[in-house]
Amino acid sequence: MRFILPSRLRTKGVVGMNMRNLSFVAENNPRHLYSLVDDKLKTKKLAEEAGIAAPRLLGVVRVHKHVGQLAPFLKGQGGFVVKPAKGSGGKGILVITGRDGDRFVKSSGGVINENDLHRHVANTLSGLFSLGGNPDVAMLEEVVEFADVFDGFTYQGVPDIRIIVYKGYPVMSMARLSTAASDGKANLHQGAVGVGIDIGSGNALLAVQHSLPVQEHPDTGRKLSDLSIPGWLECLRLASRCYEMTGLGYLGVDLVLDARRGPLLLELNARPGLAIQMANGQGLLPRLALVNSLEKPHDSAEDRVEYSLGHFARV
Amino acid sequence: MNNKKQLVILVGTLLALGIGVTVYKVLFLGFALSPASRESVWTVEAEISFIADGGPVEVSLNQPDNLNDLVVVDIVDRNHGYSYLVKDVDGVRRGIWSRKDAHGPQKIYQRLNVYRLDDFMGREAESDEKAPKVIPLDGAARMLADSLLRKAKEKGMDDLSMARELLRLLNAPENNTKASSLLEMKDDFGGALGLARSLLHHAGVQSRVVRGVFLNESGAKNKIKSYLEVRNEGRWIMLDPLAAEVVDSDVFLLWQVNDESLLEVVGGHDSSISFSSVENSVKSNRVAIESELGKTPLVDFSIYSLPVHAQNAFKLLLLIPLGALVVVVMRNLVGIRTSGTFLPILIALTFLQTSLLVGLGLFVLIVSLGLVLRSYLNRLNLLLVPRISAVLVFVIIIYLGISVVSYKMGSDVGLLVTFFPMIIISWTIERMSVLWEEEGFREVFIQGGGSLLTSSLIYLVISNRWVGHLAYSFPELLLVVLAVILMVGSYTGYRLSELRRFEPLGRE
Repeated sequence: MRFILPSRLRTKGVVGMNMRNLSFVAENNPRHLYSLVDDKLKTKKLAEEAGIAAPRLLGVVRVHKHVGQLAPFLKGQGGFVVKPAKGSGGKGILVITGRDGDRFVKSSGGVINENDLHRHVANTLSGLFSLGGNPDVAMLEEVVEFADVFDGFTYQGVPDIRIIVYKGYPVMSMARLSTAASDGKANLHQGAVGVGIDIGSGNALLAVQHSLPVQEHPDTGRKLSDLSIPGWLECLRLASRCYEMTGLGYLGVDLVLDARRGPLLLELNARPGLAIQMANGQGLLPRLALVNSLEKPHDSAEDRVEYSLGHFARV
Repeated sequence: MNNKKQLVILVGTLLALGIGVTVYKVLFLGFALSPASRESVWTVEAEISFIADGGPVEVSLNQPDNLNDLVVVDIVDRNHGYSYLVKDVDGVRRGIWSRKDAHGPQKIYQRLNVYRLDDFMGREAESDEKAPKVIPLDGAARMLADSLLRKAKEKGMDDLSMARELLRLLNAPENNTKASSLLEMKDDFGGALGLARSLLHHAGVQSRVVRGVFLNESGAKNKIKSYLEVRNEGRWIMLDPLAAEVVDSDVFLLWQVNDESLLEVVGGHDSSISFSSVENSVKSNRVAIESELGKTPLVDFSIYSLPVHAQNAFKLLLLIPLGALVVVVMRNLVGIRTSGTFLPILIALTFLQTSLLVGLGLFVLIVSLGLVLRSYLNRLNLLLVPRISAVLVFVIIIYLGISVVSYKMGSDVGLLVTFFPMIIISWTIERMSVLWEEEGFREVFIQGGGSLLTSSLIYLVISNRWVGHLAYSFPELLLVVLAVILMVGSYTGYRLSELRRFEPLGRE
């Protein structure tokens, strides 16, 4: 077991869990705003009002008696996603990519029938997937057509981009790539690969899996340093605008890239994790401190992104 | 920044108050810092309850006699509305409470401070002690007695062995017709104990019936117990009349001898009396004996002013903040993950009953079995409340299974499972099962191990004699614990686990 001296960590500007909770989350995120991000339906409504692009909402199933009307409602809709509004950790998300007669084809290739779909939605309403087992609603969303930039960079599953936004300024970001070890999930602690993305350019900085540096994707063998996010400026602007949208000062913004529509807001997190520091090989503290030291914060998202591009780019 | 200043002032005040009061109590009130320097002092409390009929009430209670080396040094009576006096009636001391008018349920408390005069030497009988009265045997009883005593003397050589043999014979009348015939007449002698005394008297052995309480018996509401005492070579030896065994009367406080009545209530009905006792850890010579209690406001408004059974409860309650402190340190300074914030405290309290290793083993066994059974429920897709209820039923079945199997195999260890809080255990199984599904077994192992490690540490802290003594004698130290918890609560530095987690950041 190897340890690092606390003084070394401090010079690196690494933010620890205690500091994140006390100095950033508790200071900047008022408790009553949490529900805006913990309930994905609320987030989606907010995004719609603010004109922030997100996967289109097809419908919401709120009560059990509507479960039976699902099939007629979804007629003509080839693929769709069923999502619990208050689900956690990706639990209960069902992705249907196509039809096979009366049956539904899942993204993994498996096939389910109408009854299976009904049961899944009914379970969602009963709170099987929500935190604490509270009753929930099921959201029906269109399927994202992933941009092909991620081809070869992920193994099954959804690649997404996480941007930490502090007081509206994008300060650090990474792409999360699923692997066989992470079972198609984009959670770093389950073995997904985290690739630090330079705020200045949208290009890969370095990559880690299980906190250790990797050069290639463990399943596809693709060189991770080749990853570059197209339309990066747009991604940063979208993330920055989420600050006004929610009022949360310390925010994790999760984006996906749609082939046609560009960056879409997937979800928001009021307590984003610290693994992003590992993927960037840098601590968050100097950047957060720089934002704190601003005497006159910028009002518009464009200006804030401009500032971030100038100050948080890696040369 | 202002918040920060407030916190510093608050922490400072708490520390000063907690440590200051402790130092004052040690230096000026004679409280002992270490558990070793205390003498055995017990506070015994008698609780009399009855229902008043609505008129004048008089309650009289036999007072304990200083018959052995346990000395009653102080009697405290604090019952509002009752006047209290001590009367000598026919050479027997009785405490009498009276009140002109009382309605409904009534409670009267009497508290005694008892301490030990000397090392226990046995209870010596005084030579001029007048022999207690017995009802003499006559006629048929006498003949039966003669033959029964002959049988008893076959085994026992001295008075004590003879008395024990006699008790054994009387306890098994189905084996002896004489004993059973004599027992049929027991009502003439005031019960079986009276009969035994008459028989002993007939054989030339002095005996008496004593009633009292064991001071070292923990728990609230103990009933008074009756024993037979036999005079043997100048000492009174206490015998358990049912087991016919000698009972160690080391810490037995004699409350009543022979047929003195214990409690009399005039003007009320449904009266009952119970006792609780607590061993005090104050320095006996200073505080308890001179009855400093009540003269100093610091002590008067402290834990010692509570009823004794409540004091016993607080002995445990006062340790719980220390458990919380350990949890805080483990989670926020060390960075250990536990399943459920305060689960480790509850498990540690259970360990107090089961001992550490047995407790750890049982916990792992229960939770593993629970997880196996719970994994089946996964397939059934049940709703939350029915699912957790099903787990609760599983847990009860597991408890029962472990108890029965262990008992059949000749060990009582399995019976200890009942000390585990089953609702908490059910939730733990449920949460761990969900965790297993979502994050894999590794996470279950980490959190389960973290919980058990924390529980074990808490157990080691709260089972420590020093810690227990300090927490109970100096409850103001709670303020110090609170101050430390507040300090940790505002700590923004790294956790020990993060020095490991972020270690790769230091490599080039």
